[in-house]
Amino acid sequence: MSVTATKMLARDWRGGELGVLVMALVLAVGIVSGISAFTTRLQSALVQESNRFLAADTVVTSGFDLPEAWLQEAASRDLTTAQTLLFPSMVYTDADAMSLASVKAVSSAYPLRGELTYSPEPFAAVLPSTAGPEPGEVWLDSRLFPLLEVAVGDEVTIGEARFTIAAAARTEPDQGSSFYGYGPRVLMHYQDIPATGVIQPGSRVEYRQLYAGDTTAVESFSRWLEPQLQNGQSLVNIDEGQPGIGSALSRAESFLLLAGSLAVVLAGVAVALAARRFSERHHDYVAIVKSLGATSGTVNRLYGSSLLLLGCVATLLGCLLGWAIQALFFALFSEQLPVQPGPSGVRPYAIGAATSLTCLLCFAWPPLRRLGQASPLRVLRRDLLPEKRRASGDYLVGLLAVSLLMWWYSQDWRLTLAVLAGLAVTAGLGFGLALMLLRGSRLVGMSAGSIWRLALAGLQRRGVENALQVVIFAMAIMLLLVLLLVRTSLIDDWQTQLPDDAPNHFMVNVTAEDVQSIEQLLRADNIPSEAFYPMIRGRVMSINDEQLPSSDEVQEDRRQRETNFTWSDTLPNDNKLVAGQWWAPGTEELLVSLEEGFAERMGVAVGDTMGFLVGSQPLEVRVASIRQLNWQSMRPNFYFVFPPRVLAQYPATFMTSFHLAPSNKVFLNQFIRTYPTVTVIEMDIVIEQIRAIVNQVSAAINLVLVVILAAGALVLIAGVQASVDARMQESAILRALGASRRLILGGLLVEFATLGLCAGLLATVAAELSVYILQTRAMDMAYAPTPWLWPLGIATGTLVIGALGVYSCRKVVSTPPVTVLREL
Amino acid sequence: MIKSENLQKRVPMAGAELEILKGITLEIKSGESVAIIGASGSGKSTLLGLLAGLDEASAGSVVINDTDLGALDEDGRARFRGEHIGFVFQSFQLLPALTALENVMLPLELQGQSRAQEQAQNYLERVGLAARSGHYPLQLSGGEQQRVALARAFASRPSILFADEPTGNLDTRTGEHIIDLLFELNREEGTTLVLVTHDQALADRCQRCLRLDGGMLVPE
Repeated sequence: MSVTATKMLARDWRGGELGVLVMALVLAVGIVSGISAFTTRLQSALVQESNRFLAADTVVTSGFDLPEAWLQEAASRDLTTAQTLLFPSMVYTDADAMSLASVKAVSSAYPLRGELTYSPEPFAAVLPSTAGPEPGEVWLDSRLFPLLEVAVGDEVTIGEARFTIAAAARTEPDQGSSFYGYGPRVLMHYQDIPATGVIQPGSRVEYRQLYAGDTTAVESFSRWLEPQLQNGQSLVNIDEGQPGIGSALSRAESFLLLAGSLAVVLAGVAVALAARRFSERHHDYVAIVKSLGATSGTVNRLYGSSLLLLGCVATLLGCLLGWAIQALFFALFSEQLPVQPGPSGVRPYAIGAATSLTCLLCFAWPPLRRLGQASPLRVLRRDLLPEKRRASGDYLVGLLAVSLLMWWYSQDWRLTLAVLAGLAVTAGLGFGLALMLLRGSRLVGMSAGSIWRLALAGLQRRGVENALQVVIFAMAIMLLLVLLLVRTSLIDDWQTQLPDDAPNHFMVNVTAEDVQSIEQLLRADNIPSEAFYPMIRGRVMSINDEQLPSSDEVQEDRRQRETNFTWSDTLPNDNKLVAGQWWAPGTEELLVSLEEGFAERMGVAVGDTMGFLVGSQPLEVRVASIRQLNWQSMRPNFYFVFPPRVLAQYPATFMTSFHLAPSNKVFLNQFIRTYPTVTVIEMDIVIEQIRAIVNQVSAAINLVLVVILAAGALVLIAGVQASVDARMQESAILRALGASRRLILGGLLVEFATLGLCAGLLATVAAELSVYILQTRAMDMAYAPTPWLWPLGIATGTLVIGALGVYSCRKVVSTPPVTVLREL
Repeated sequence: MIKSENLQKRVPMAGAELEILKGITLEIKSGESVAIIGASGSGKSTLLGLLAGLDEASAGSVVINDTDLGALDEDGRARFRGEHIGFVFQSFQLLPALTALENVMLPLELQGQSRAQEQAQNYLERVGLAARSGHYPLQLSGGEQQRVALARAFASRPSILFADEPTGNLDTRTGEHIIDLLFELNREEGTTLVLVTHDQALADRCQRCLRLDGGMLVPE
């Protein structure tokens, strides 16, 4: 029988009957495995990316010397190690020029992850390096060269040691991980530390031990190390990566997962429709084979093995497609991703295969299984219709399967529920509405010309089938609209978050006397900047008169901590009050406004009192309001804002952020010369990197949208095909009776376009609802109604389904009616 | 031998029951050829379906070669059909996905015969279609398709052949050829033949004629 099965399969394939089924399976497997492989590899790239920002896989930081034994233990576990020491120090030249610098001494193996860059000359082209300076040499920040009036090859003194300037230091992978000791960078070798004699007990320094290696070895070493850490020592975890990139990518990931889930639904519907049609068209076959002595078991084996064979081929092709999709994504990304993504493993392809198996078992098999029960009497009586009794059970099984698949795949029940809610509304409300609309169209159509009468009579006659078809069309269109909407708002959201003129430099350590002149300078050079915020170091001591434990005692959030305070009469830009009220300008009340997350972690609410230590002065204030702020805005952000009068008596430095175009970078050299004590933190490279990645993610999302559109189109094609046989038969009879080509095609066009119109209308309503739930509940975005959706949804439905319907039935006017009737 | 006892068939129709066969009792001997005739709607095809085990009776029994069809389930009847019964239909009922040869091989393969292809080829030769064994049904004329159906019916060497209007879709001349071939093969194979037809000339070539009217057998 297997020969017969393959022959029948081959013949059905040539007849185009299996095309939709196979294509739907291939697309489902392809999209699911492709997206899954992509996100898996992206995750591994993100972890590496985070590690890159640590310059290692894991790091211990400490205010005092770290034990040598830890390095030996790490080495015995096959980990590579490195050490760094960060300390502020004056750098002198022979000509008595001097500058305070942030000195970093690094061992030869540094960095273990990521890349160190340098320039042979200050401000020259940036080159990568695998190691830092040799013993006896230093690399100076470019801006130290003009400041100290030195050149490469000259000598400088740090403490009691002299060093030759070998290059200009540009970037270190773990530059951003410590805001400790601002100031221009000087890199030296770890070995030279004793010679300088600057490190004394009690010096403000930061020791680091860096470890890298195999993930499991790093994890087990971390577990070994953790209990031995003393106060003031901490283990830096790998998930402290770049929040900007991380957030953009994690949203992209949830979008891709949503897209993948929708692909599964669409493919499931397409497979179910195609299998149903296949099974209806095979009832005659089965009746013949059964009349010749085949049992239902034989028939089930025949179709089961066909389906299995088909499933295997489709899964294989789908996995290939999936591999190609993720490869294409990474080809798009390769220039932006600073690290090589790891392998995806077999899991994504296993997910793809499981999707295929589920689609086959839950969507394709139920209608085919019923073929086994077909009556052989159909060989004598063609009017004997296949049993439709258990079809509703099939839908239930299919719905359950889709829900489980979506949940398993997205691991997000909110996302799954939002999509299911949209689908339920489409199905439930849609069915009744479609019936009503179709009945209404009949009344309108009664007075219309004969094309209309023909079409509307057709719609009316198959009322229930048509309503079902409308629901299926509407579901497909709805899913596509949802995806389009979410994609658009996602990309818009990114663009507003990081506009082209977003601040890309921070300026800190500005003295009160300098604020005005710097403001003028920025204005004169047309450099857009934020307001200057005063910055005062202070310590949180108590909440509601209850003394907080010190950081030496506990590790939890609710403890004493040192942080930056600012003051302002107005609510800072971008901040949003979530509780309490903003104070009146000029108030003398002792108040404070807290950042939402901080307030939550500390367990503080509006009306509570908090005690601080500013300098050596105690300060007690009442919490007046809680603010929400955007940490990714690249603007100065503060946990604590006080009324100006409360902090006015304490000495403060000021900070701001500003946007500097790449062409304007020379401004910095001039600026640093004029204000040598001000520290400028350059974020432009990181921002560019985030922006580039966001652009690539947008490109990937658009690509996925195209693939999903294909899946949607398949559902529409399968849906149209499902009803083509009956319509073809009627049209062939009309044609035989002498109906003109125009009448028949016109009638079909009106019939399908009406179905499309109903489907488009339904889809638009359901899409708005789903997007509302998705954006407000699952994706943490603001909902905005989309008026352009309505014409788009309705036009898509009407035009696409009208055209597809006519195209599918075109044969009826191009071939003799008798041939059409014979083939059906 | 085929024996039916008080065979009845009722179907639900618009809330009521429609009685198609009202108690048919008949006996057909081995090797006999019998025609069932009657007007449209007299229940001919229903009787054929019941006698051949394609359908279940509402009451009464059909016994073929000592096997009570009523005691078998659908799968049991399918196996029985495969071993003992051949069919020729008005609309040929060939599988369009299979070639002429493969269509003839189908019942043999279902029986698990090892020399299916050889035997099928042999029967295609006997109906004069050896040269067209690789053609698909749609590439054959109506007469040729019915000859393939004849080859398929006899290839499994059934003891009984049921034919439902075997010439109904064919012109007179082609129909005559098919009938000649049918009776020739029937004679050679010694098969019992039960034939449903409108065509009196065809009925006359059978040894016996049964007339159905309003679901009952009436004397000739």
